[in-house]
Amino acid sequence: MPTLVKWTGADAELAEDPFTAVDDDQPLPRGDVIISLTRFQAEGDQLLSEGRKIGVRVEADEAVEALAYDLPRIAVVALVFPKFRDGRAYTAARLLRERFGYAGQVRAVGDVLREQAHFMIRCGFDAFEPADGSTPADWAHVAARFRHVYQRAADDRAPAFTERQG
Amino acid sequence: MYRYDDIDKAILTDRVAEFREQATRRLAGLITEDQFKPIRLMNGLYLQLHAYMLRIAIPYGALTSAKMRKLAFIARTYDKGYGHFTTRTNLQLHWIKLRDAPDILEHLAEVELHSIQTSGNCIRNLTADPHAGATADEVDDPRVWAEAIRQWSTFHPEFSFLPRKFKIAVTAAETDRAAIKVYDIGLRLHRAPDGELGFEVLVGGGLGRTPYLGSTIRKHLPTRHLLSYLQAILRVYNRAGRRDNAWKARIKILVSSLGAEEFARQVEEEWEKEPRDGVDLPDGELARIRAAFAPQGFETLPAASAAFQAAKAADRAFARFVRHNVKPHKVPGYAIVDVSLKAPGETPGDCSADQMDVVADLAERFSHDEVRVSYEQNLILPHVKLDDVPQVYAELQAAGLATPNIGLISDIIACPGLDYCALANARAIPIAQDIAKRFADPERAEVVGELKIKISGCINACGHHHVGHIGILGVDKKGEEFYQLTLGGSGAEDAEVGKMLGPALPADKVADAVEQLVEVYMRERADGERFLDTFRRTGMAPFKEAVYADAR
Amino acid sequence: MTMKALTANRLDDGEAVFWMGGRWVDRFADAQLWPDQDPAAEAAEAHAKNELTQVVDAYLIEVIESDGGYAPLSYRERVRAMGPTNKLEHGKQAEGGAAIEALVHAHGAARSTGRVNLIKRK
Repeated sequence: MPTLVKWTGADAELAEDPFTAVDDDQPLPRGDVIISLTRFQAEGDQLLSEGRKIGVRVEADEAVEALAYDLPRIAVVALVFPKFRDGRAYTAARLLRERFGYAGQVRAVGDVLREQAHFMIRCGFDAFEPADGSTPADWAHVAARFRHVYQRAADDRAPAFTERQG
Repeated sequence: MYRYDDIDKAILTDRVAEFREQATRRLAGLITEDQFKPIRLMNGLYLQLHAYMLRIAIPYGALTSAKMRKLAFIARTYDKGYGHFTTRTNLQLHWIKLRDAPDILEHLAEVELHSIQTSGNCIRNLTADPHAGATADEVDDPRVWAEAIRQWSTFHPEFSFLPRKFKIAVTAAETDRAAIKVYDIGLRLHRAPDGELGFEVLVGGGLGRTPYLGSTIRKHLPTRHLLSYLQAILRVYNRAGRRDNAWKARIKILVSSLGAEEFARQVEEEWEKEPRDGVDLPDGELARIRAAFAPQGFETLPAASAAFQAAKAADRAFARFVRHNVKPHKVPGYAIVDVSLKAPGETPGDCSADQMDVVADLAERFSHDEVRVSYEQNLILPHVKLDDVPQVYAELQAAGLATPNIGLISDIIACPGLDYCALANARAIPIAQDIAKRFADPERAEVVGELKIKISGCINACGHHHVGHIGILGVDKKGEEFYQLTLGGSGAEDAEVGKMLGPALPADKVADAVEQLVEVYMRERADGERFLDTFRRTGMAPFKEAVYADAR
Repeated sequence: MTMKALTANRLDDGEAVFWMGGRWVDRFADAQLWPDQDPAAEAAEAHAKNELTQVVDAYLIEVIESDGGYAPLSYRERVRAMGPTNKLEHGKQAEGGAAIEALVHAHGAARSTGRVNLIKRK
């Protein structure tokens, strides 16, 4: 049953989530899994050699730089919002996209609310596990709210000062 | 004056529509208060003791007659016919209904006003020297940079959920009329020895429970790199600022705990890692913003005005007004005119809708359509011809706006306090009124001279008590309002945090104490010394002794 | 002897309101009062905290007898019940009358239930 909201770049859609999120003390099921940064650092090589797709969950107080060298092999980076007011994951997402050129899925997990859609997408998130029962239509609606933006971010929107020049 | 282009207008329109939708959903119960509160705050809407309070942003304190008239209209139509100018050069309306807020924002947008990011854990309204563009002692117009930062910081996707609020102030003169040393980021424009324009960057100043003066983390930042450098600072803060304790979440705590040197190192390291081109504004955009603030319409006039001199000679009251409320302008024949919102007996910083209309009218007729708000809760007409000052004075006086007390003892900063604010422990307004009434005689106030009293109703220090020459902090002692006095604070370029005078005093003893402090000053002062100077020379002892003599 | 009342702010206009038998009223004088320790007070508070569209931020306050009427024990709640002291024509106090007088002349304010110095409103 599709539960993941994915941003296609122009629209939001509901998608099946092939990944199972696994806690550190849980045994690993078959198939694609999202595991903690700690677990990835311990078992990541082994799991990747098994041919699974691996996602890494990065907590708000963990440095996403720790994944820098492994990013080409990681299918999903799940950034945690322990509370929606905790804005550290916005920086983490931008670093993934802009500093490390990460091309995989950047997923927002935790206290994820539709009203943050615009900011999240601008910072490079392209998948969301909403905590507020919101639908892809809700996310697309919020993402489309602002016809212009003032600053450059991880998305490809031209900032106002560039629009003014052209 | 910066005028919105179509892009600015579209962004504001979209925001107004967004909030209307969000407020409607909230009123219908489709979104909880927990989820709505940050949205509400980021649109400047607080829940206070009696009603909602709306905090309208006045970027770098700059208004036009159209904006001021719209504020008067909002105050009349949706509030109780007045507004309160704050120490952050914003306007607060204290009797607002949530259900009216979407309409209010729409009205404000018509004149390019808004309440964006006047609360919440985001970058707040930019403040700058209120004499920008009028004062001779600036090396550049700080409003240019304040406007650039305003745009960059508006709906910044990475920095809208910071550990805590974030405030930036800009000045371009040695005399600091923007209190940059007690800001999260203070920016001082200056010229390097080779003439290059740059910013001294101070970080980690702040008032509140733990006051700090900002530390210089960069002596000279070339102006073209302003935004990329700010991004580096904000990013270090966003990642490392504390999120476990709201009292320890400001950047001042981070700078203090790392040490300024280490903090600066982390900022420089982050700054080096990012390409700057995408963040720093291109020259064309800077030029566009700069052009908006270019001086316009100044006539070539003689430096002296016969009419002005004659009026001073003929009217002692006008002469007194000139001594305290009229400041030199960089253009010969012009002056900067202060409009006091501190008439003794009135609520400091309050301005009625009728008074707003008077000031708007004067701005349009006599001040190149400009009026400014200062962090000391007064207004300023920045470009008045000396020839016109007598007329301006007469019209201000008729509206109760000509009290000749700028910088004097009755020019008190006071927060709304327990009369309005849900955070307060004690009232600030009656204390200010008591003191101002004691010194209502303009001759007496003039003899006392410069004395900046600042009153806060709680530890959040919105009244800036830490940097008052006399600071007064309201505390709650088992239900009774008590007040802790501090001496020797300053928010100017000689910034200092005030020192405690002694045990807190009950409300009815505060004005007496201030009189006693003034008496000591008058007795001890050497030639030309202000209160602050005398205190710095004598120290606390004679002042403490006078106020607490009965205690022994 | 202290009693309890339940107060909140009305969602749509922010007005300070008081619980009275299942609905919210504007005047403190009309507020329902419970004796200290009455579990019905806590029950009403719990109910109010779950309200989504009527009020925000409901909480119980302590109330004392005053001048033939009642007044909140804390000075902050008196200001909420009356209005700002710098503008007597604004807020609920503008209505005047005996109930407002009871608030104006109340003394013995305290933040906690402890007995304290008297405070008189000017």
